[in-house]
Amino acid sequence: MSRLEELKTRIKEALPGLECVIGWQKGYDPLHNTPLFMRTDADVDKLEWGPLNVHNPAVYLPTFTGKKVGVVVKGCDSRSVVELLQENLINRDNVVIFGMPCTGVIDLSKVKARLAGAGVSAGTVTAVTDDGKTVSVTAGGQTTAMPLAEVRADKCGRCQFPNAVLADAYVGDPIAPAAPAAAADADLAALDAMSVPERMAFWRYHMERCIRCYACRNACPMCVCRDHCIAQSREPHWLTQDDTATEKLMFQVVHALHLAGRCTECGECQRACPMDIPVLALKKHLNRTIRDLFDYQAGVDPQAIPPLLQFKLEEDNIKERSW
Amino acid sequence: MTDPFNPYLPEVATILETVQETHNIKTFRVRFDDEAKMAAFKFEPGQVGQLSAPGIGESTFVINSPPTRMDYLQFSVMRAGEVTTMLHGLNAGDKVGVRAPLGNCFPYEAMKGKNIVFVGGGIGMAPLRTLFLYMLDNRADYGDITLLYGARSPADMAFSAELPEWTSRADVNTTLTIDREADGWAHKVGLIPNVLLELAPKPENTVAVTCGPPIMIKFTLEALKKLGFEDDQIVTTLEKRMKCGIGICGRCNIGSSYVCVDGPVYTYAQLKALPNEL
Amino acid sequence: MAAVKYIASDKLPDWLKSLAAKSRVLVPVAEGGGVVFRPYAPGCRPVFDSDATAPPKGAVFPACQELFRYEQGKDPEDPGKPTLKLIASTEAEPTVVFGAKPCGARGFLIFDRVYIGKKFPDPYYIAAREATVFVTMACAAANVENTCFCHWVGSGPADGSGSDVLLTPVAGGYTAEAVTDKGAALLEDPALADGAAKADEAAAVKAAAREVLGEAPDIAASPAALLAAFDDADFWRDQSDKCVSCGACTYLCPTCYCFTITDEPKGMSGRRMRSWDACMHFQFTLEASGHNPRPTKAHRLKNRVGHKFSYYPTLHDGLVACCGCGRCIKSCPVSVDIREIVQNAVARAKG
Repeated sequence: MSRLEELKTRIKEALPGLECVIGWQKGYDPLHNTPLFMRTDADVDKLEWGPLNVHNPAVYLPTFTGKKVGVVVKGCDSRSVVELLQENLINRDNVVIFGMPCTGVIDLSKVKARLAGAGVSAGTVTAVTDDGKTVSVTAGGQTTAMPLAEVRADKCGRCQFPNAVLADAYVGDPIAPAAPAAAADADLAALDAMSVPERMAFWRYHMERCIRCYACRNACPMCVCRDHCIAQSREPHWLTQDDTATEKLMFQVVHALHLAGRCTECGECQRACPMDIPVLALKKHLNRTIRDLFDYQAGVDPQAIPPLLQFKLEEDNIKERSW
Repeated sequence: MTDPFNPYLPEVATILETVQETHNIKTFRVRFDDEAKMAAFKFEPGQVGQLSAPGIGESTFVINSPPTRMDYLQFSVMRAGEVTTMLHGLNAGDKVGVRAPLGNCFPYEAMKGKNIVFVGGGIGMAPLRTLFLYMLDNRADYGDITLLYGARSPADMAFSAELPEWTSRADVNTTLTIDREADGWAHKVGLIPNVLLELAPKPENTVAVTCGPPIMIKFTLEALKKLGFEDDQIVTTLEKRMKCGIGICGRCNIGSSYVCVDGPVYTYAQLKALPNEL
Repeated sequence: MAAVKYIASDKLPDWLKSLAAKSRVLVPVAEGGGVVFRPYAPGCRPVFDSDATAPPKGAVFPACQELFRYEQGKDPEDPGKPTLKLIASTEAEPTVVFGAKPCGARGFLIFDRVYIGKKFPDPYYIAAREATVFVTMACAAANVENTCFCHWVGSGPADGSGSDVLLTPVAGGYTAEAVTDKGAALLEDPALADGAAKADEAAAVKAAAREVLGEAPDIAASPAALLAAFDDADFWRDQSDKCVSCGACTYLCPTCYCFTITDEPKGMSGRRMRSWDACMHFQFTLEASGHNPRPTKAHRLKNRVGHKFSYYPTLHDGLVACCGCGRCIKSCPVSVDIREIVQNAVARAKG
């Protein structure tokens, strides 16, 4: 039995006690998988596993308050589940976690750019195959082979948790994390290298492209106040509806600050953005600060309290008395 | 070149007078600053207006004065959200914006010659008031008029200055009720639907017009059905969050019916034909 | 019908320059991994071979627009008396939208019936609509994407409705056909030559693109089918499970026309503005009392699909409020597929 078949068996065994199990299935074309909500055995048979499972299913968990649900996770997704548990946003008794070792997912924007380079549109894909190392995409009658290492999501290049950090049912043997790829934090490095005016110009350029759809917010598993978001609230009235870079950056900064030390860098904000705005960099920057100050990573230890969600008289790593 | 009519541009109006009706209902009597526009202004009972304070925004209210009394347009505002809270801070002399008339009206022409039963609860009396006063001002056109108006307590009764007249007029049967006994209360005590069943108005040649909080409407409809009223003999008004008020901005629809232009007045028969999304 | 004209690819900058001398010209350009409409400037390289990420909706219906300004003050004669002045302008900038796909231009046909209504015509929209000319680029077979379904909704890859000029890519350039008088006037430019010799090739390009789309399923039953499913909570749960309730689908939709109105004060003056709003957001229908008639994403997705494929066609002679561009599918972070939902509703009604 393949690992995927074994996983399906485990899900089917658990299904009778669950509202549903969230995973992935094939989407509208061969390049796109899409979240799957399994309620019947027939649904479970649609389950997919592989580099096209780009979405983080943890985003749905807080919406099932009071119901017991299952979730299939990649390593990165499991960190979001753990962070949700850490913040009591979901109840451990109400979630069953299914995991498998993950070797990375693709970045659709990179695939799209590759295809454009080959002179074909990503909108015309007719077949996708992968052998674990190479993704081959057929579009416009021609097949383009892309090494996974080159078209995988940036987060996969720095992934230290290819196995679920917490799972109730784990199928397959855990794999060892690879050494972080050299370019894994190229986005931060590029921003670091900019002068402040350059950086401001960078964000102004990108914010002017923002259409304020809030896909970044709604795809974020940790952004749980989305229905009462400051961006659309009149009370308090912190942001106007002006379509300006200033207002839009203000929202991004609020969003990023709320995520400081909570963000697991799953990258959903950036992946969800229809305009491909690199909004993850804001969160990565704050996370780096949190790591330096508190030696803390979000979503790794279910028992840990995120540093900004607790008050300590004296922090271990901040020697404020010696300042 | 004259500008085309701009349905988003309010008429600037001045608050002539306010009445603190209850702890959370305040009435505003306003007149357009442009007297020519005020003189030309026409509306029908049940139509609504968007009342706005600059910088705060707009909210929809029924014009609860009748078209037969055009000294001012009256809006009664229950404090609930941001706009209504800010409106409560306004007083006589302050400027407001008014976009009106919007929406449909009560079928007051078709009601001619019929007996009318008004059942109002709380702030729900406001939309009834315009039609009730219009009918009093055209008394001969209508048959028996019954008014049942209820509130939680005497202090929650809006339009209290007018209640002595309404209860003493010989040409209307007015019943006031409150939910629980209160000192000095000389009228009925009991929930509106129960009092309605006691009053037992006859459905023959009668139209019932009801407005109030959802739970009251639910049981009032049941009571009216029990009394033998058909769905098309019952008229009510709906509330939805509105922005444009002119059928464009897209939030007040129930299926293909836009409450801001196709409503707010619906018969129960029409409501039942709409998708279930109140 | 007016004669077919032809413009060689290398003459296109000349035409664009001459158009840009008279009005704002918006062209699709590559930006940040996508394609968006930006003002044409000499040297800019329009992208005509793929549909823009965001449609040219903002050309006529800006993401944010001032309805009026207000100024509060005090009566100089009687400082106790407040004054209020409202200043509105509906003026619009003459604009040519150049190179949108037919679906992007067709979106405004859906707007027109709502914004140019009999009772409350919208002066801001009308001014912008009248000031805008659409020079549209028909799709070639290679442009047809997996998410395209214009042929489902009464349109097609060479649909000129909503456009003023229809360009068709042919070898070496483009044929140009006037759809409206406004469009015919634009074709009176020395950069354009007679295109009679290219007419057959253009017709073949159009036919080939239509051929790629294949046959459309019959969704004529969708208005009734969606109404019939209205109270089926399980159906809408299943359709909306994966939706994350963001506004990508609505903001990128050429036909989504909903907006909100907000006041933005600054001291004693300020602006009343209208800005794009999305029915997928919780706040869209939230009432001051706290009651929300569409409290869940299932309610909201039901309204979005219902509006496009049931309520709107019921009010507007069967016209579907969707141009089939597929942006809502392509740009959805979780690939919610509106085609699938409509088909599921139709299948559900058949039983």
